[in-house]
Amino acid sequence: MIRKVLIANRGEIALRIVRACQELGVRAVAVYSDADAQAPHVREADEAVHIGPAPASESYLRGDHLIAVAKQVGADAVHPGYGFLSEREWFARAVRDAGLVWIGPPAEAIAAMGSKTAARTLAISAGTPVVPGTTEPLRDAAEAAATAARFGYPVLLKAAAGGGGKGMRVVREESEIAGALASAQREAKNAFGDDAVYVEKYIEGPRHVEIQVLADAHGNCIALGERECSIQRRHQKMVEEAPSVAVTPELRQRMGDAAVAAAKAAGYVNAGTCEFLLDRHGNFYFLEMNTRIQVEHPVTELVMGIDLVQWQLRIASGERLPFTTSPEPKGWAIECRITSEDPANGFLPSTGRIAHLHLPSGPGVRWDGGIEVGSVVGLSYDPMLAKLIVFAPTREAAIARMERALKELVIDGVETSREFHLRVMADADYRAGRVDIQWLESRLPTLLAQQAPRETRQAAAIAAALLADRDRGSRRTGTPSGGSATVPGHTNGAPAPAGVAGSWAQLARLENLRRG
Amino acid sequence: MKYLVDLSGERVEVQLDADGATVDGTRTSAHLADVEGTSVRLVTIGGVQHRVVARRGAGKGAYTLWIDGWRFDAEALDERTRAIRELSALAAGPVGPAPVIAPMPGLIVRVHVAAGDTVQAGQGVVVMEAMKMENELRAPASGVVKAIHATPGVAVEKGSVLVEFEPQAGA
Repeated sequence: MIRKVLIANRGEIALRIVRACQELGVRAVAVYSDADAQAPHVREADEAVHIGPAPASESYLRGDHLIAVAKQVGADAVHPGYGFLSEREWFARAVRDAGLVWIGPPAEAIAAMGSKTAARTLAISAGTPVVPGTTEPLRDAAEAAATAARFGYPVLLKAAAGGGGKGMRVVREESEIAGALASAQREAKNAFGDDAVYVEKYIEGPRHVEIQVLADAHGNCIALGERECSIQRRHQKMVEEAPSVAVTPELRQRMGDAAVAAAKAAGYVNAGTCEFLLDRHGNFYFLEMNTRIQVEHPVTELVMGIDLVQWQLRIASGERLPFTTSPEPKGWAIECRITSEDPANGFLPSTGRIAHLHLPSGPGVRWDGGIEVGSVVGLSYDPMLAKLIVFAPTREAAIARMERALKELVIDGVETSREFHLRVMADADYRAGRVDIQWLESRLPTLLAQQAPRETRQAAAIAAALLADRDRGSRRTGTPSGGSATVPGHTNGAPAPAGVAGSWAQLARLENLRRG
Repeated sequence: MKYLVDLSGERVEVQLDADGATVDGTRTSAHLADVEGTSVRLVTIGGVQHRVVARRGAGKGAYTLWIDGWRFDAEALDERTRAIRELSALAAGPVGPAPVIAPMPGLIVRVHVAAGDTVQAGQGVVVMEAMKMENELRAPASGVVKAIHATPGVAVEKGSVLVEFEPQAGA
């Protein structure tokens, strides 16, 4: 077994890996930049090493330095987490060349899945379905029409150098294709200086459904069910769940087989994820493979009853998988990514110091976080603060549990996505599972414009008046004159001592007199 | 004491007495208490408890409130202060629409407007990059661009005024 792991990451995933290590009796070594000296992942680890200034390029992305640190502390393995260096082939190779164990897939597998085109070719060779499309630019309208007829309408014309929707056209029937091709080519030429246009089948209203795979070094590779990740904003997942309302046991089996075939073709070992588009008719198409542990891995852990991060360590230590067939998911898990973004203000990143944090708990609630009271949320890293994950017997119960947990959660000091998640949980489409990858973008304005119920608005108005009244000094709290305005269990109803609070109130009254 | 509370665009009259509040002619008991050692306040209205987190805003009586899973921008002023405020606002004459202010430190990527341009409320005027994401900053109200203090490629601090407006002629 591996004895000591250097964790080349930060935040919640670093803490997650520390926990897996400690439960397996493996020593965990954290690294940290100037910005993270006080971070929970640093304190909870067995050892911690400072690696540089706040910018990731000078700390968490310095692969050579991280390897030197691993050697220096006597670690025998490196866990990259997600993001940062986790999918860099050269880093996986450098770790191996330094005589350390890489807790992830072999560098060759990362390379094989590294580019979308390479992964697509590999998937085709493994018999895994991909979105039908051409690999050579279209020569003329006749060729476009012939190809489209082969894939079946609708089709998508796509600029080779594309991005941001430029040079893209959805074509629904043959009569439109010549005109659409000409305008896509013109737009591509103007935007990118290159008029090469491809054609592919257009998948209408697809869901993003991904399959978790786990492979050991002895040739065993299994699928661990799907995750539904269609709730996305600007290609960032916001809510994930397992299983998916759109996946039957039969479809799960077929998607699992397709994912395992692609992973095996890449010589895959350790944990990985195949991403698919799933259309309304149950057809699925391979997009790419993520060669790392994913942010949303906990929903799979909960419905499968398996610790994926521990298995990453076990597999890297040479252990065999204990099962040869895929287990069926039990119950329902949902994850909300709690970010320091302000939904009321276009999801602008918010910064500040966490002044107060109250974490939800109770049955079926899991918090994978990297913050605590006093943490400073800056702009150096990703705005994801934590993941709130719930588990319940049914989807309906899981949604109710998530609503309860979100309401319990208090984060004071930065704006967060909490209210946004509450609006999603209450949405009729979401509750019915009627979502696809475009759903959130189109629903967002309605979700965010929602008015609180009348009684909540009235309670807010009264709360604001009470606060203003106290702040101007005409009201004190925690005193007998306030009636039951004491918190049971805190003061036991006893009068508040005329101490600090009293003198502040007096000062406030004086200030007010002066203003008047 | 009577408070006029502006709540995310809506005005509510709240009459406070020693241990209650009257809204729309209906009186309920109302208490405010701190939960010691936290930023949570327990507001009990008619026996129902609400956990409230409040952050003081820019002016007197201004708060951002989180209550029952909703967020509000509230301004609670007593009648007299509200009246003085509105009179002095009248005396000061019309003020221009609020400027666009950098909500975070970051890099200016693009500026979509030039001085003299007419903009509509909600129109994107400046794109800033922070946390590797581009964020579009929108005009808070309709108006005419008076001055621009943002240059692509230049970093700005949180709170910097980026674009100033003046009211539209005839508005």
